[in-house]
Amino acid sequence: MKQWLQLHRYALQVTLRRLLQAPSSFLTNVVVIALALVLPLMGASILISVQPVAQHVSADPTITIFMTPDASLAVSESLTKSIQESKDPLILDVRLVDKSQAAESLRSNEAWRQALEALPNNPLPHAITVTLAADDAVARTAELFASEWRLEEGVQFVQLDSLWVQRLEALLRLVRIGLTLVTLIIALVVLAAVFNTVRMQALSQRDEIAVARLVGATESFVRRPFLYQGGLTCGLGAAIAIGLTALALNPLNTAISDLSKTYDTLFALHLPSGLALFVYLIAAIVLGCFSARWSVTRHTRF
Amino acid sequence: MIEFQHVFKSYASGTAILEDVSFHVGAGEFLFVAGPSGAGKSTLLKLIAGLEPANRGIIQVNGQRLDRLTARARPYLRRAVGVILQDTHLLQDRNALQNVMLPLAVTGQPNDVARSRARAALQKVGLGGKETALPVTLSGGEQQRLAIARAIVNRPALLIADEPTANLDKDTAKRVMDVFKDFNQVGVTTLVATHDEDLMAQYADRVFVIEPGRFRDFPVNKTT
Repeated sequence: MKQWLQLHRYALQVTLRRLLQAPSSFLTNVVVIALALVLPLMGASILISVQPVAQHVSADPTITIFMTPDASLAVSESLTKSIQESKDPLILDVRLVDKSQAAESLRSNEAWRQALEALPNNPLPHAITVTLAADDAVARTAELFASEWRLEEGVQFVQLDSLWVQRLEALLRLVRIGLTLVTLIIALVVLAAVFNTVRMQALSQRDEIAVARLVGATESFVRRPFLYQGGLTCGLGAAIAIGLTALALNPLNTAISDLSKTYDTLFALHLPSGLALFVYLIAAIVLGCFSARWSVTRHTRF
Repeated sequence: MIEFQHVFKSYASGTAILEDVSFHVGAGEFLFVAGPSGAGKSTLLKLIAGLEPANRGIIQVNGQRLDRLTARARPYLRRAVGVILQDTHLLQDRNALQNVMLPLAVTGQPNDVARSRARAALQKVGLGGKETALPVTLSGGEQQRLAIARAIVNRPALLIADEPTANLDKDTAKRVMDVFKDFNQVGVTTLVATHDEDLMAQYADRVFVIEPGRFRDFPVNKTT
């Protein structure tokens, strides 16, 4: 164990010595990797910030059934009753909005009151609002109900209030797929950057590697400093990327806060959880080590 | 210590270097490998050190058959064989002490132990006051002795040197050979490739002469 620790300590010393010999090259690599790693992190921050908003909005999806203007209250009540009696577990609430109640409600608004008074009679139809249980397939469920109710007597129009939620969900799905692709591309960029750096380093350390082998160094001993280099470069890059993303979210949040106030809501972008960031950091280190190992194994066959 | 049985070695061009060479070297022997340039002296030493494989035949070093040695086990054999190549292969960006500490770092020795053993090795080869000197500041003879210190610091059972006195004047060459002799006297089997007949006559127990297509093994009458 002590010997194992000593070997790692030596590898770390060698790594730091090599990095200090060419600090600008090391720092440039770290910055390039950090900038590349900001992209998926920023995307993830946006995604995880928007996702709960979409989930919250879709928590009470509503369908509004507008009756024809000449549909009687009795017909509307009958449809309301039939929906209530269907006892479908996905239907949480069914409410009939009488057209006179609706007009009364509108009259509380001065502008609407004047408009309604100018009309000879109440132009509003009876309406039924149906609240559905929110689940992952709510948009599809709503569509099925709507297509069924459109065929009922006296129904003129069925409005799916969840349609925009469906669109938002589709958009988020798209963003998620896009983010996965961006992450994969960034991972390849990081892989290539570390691979090439380690290749250059391995070639410049040819003599040292040859001497180490001559005096009995194992391949692990030869590779270890390069693995540290790859891990350190990507680890630092990821840490800087987290810092840069946190900094970038600040001005974005100021702008978003102004916008969300106009919608009478509070919304802010935030970094993924501490655990997710830790996993991100470790993944970057593992990626760096893997790339370095691949490169050093390929470029020290002499 | 070293056993060759019907060993053949040729280069990719087809040039045969060693043909059906067999010999046995016991522990503690002091041998020279002589012959004209390009005859295969270095190749023989590299075969013994496991730096090159034979085309045919069996080579055993320190009780291990080299053709059966796995890539994983090869470094451990090299730790038992101190190798000094014609080009000393010293690390130019590290001082003398750090160069000698490398074989100990490879085996995971703690820093303090490595440092004291490296200092002792430098003392042994007469470079006691040169710990902090970079190789480039040392003379040819001192560089050779530094390479020897690096080769012996792991206390190998076998020491192999390829033309260690090639670029040295007579006195320095003798000092370097004295260092080898000292190690040989404490039981380290020593093989030295050289052209220098005077040194051979003075130090060798036995000489291998390699000439194109021919390998001879005979004792030498020592004058000292």
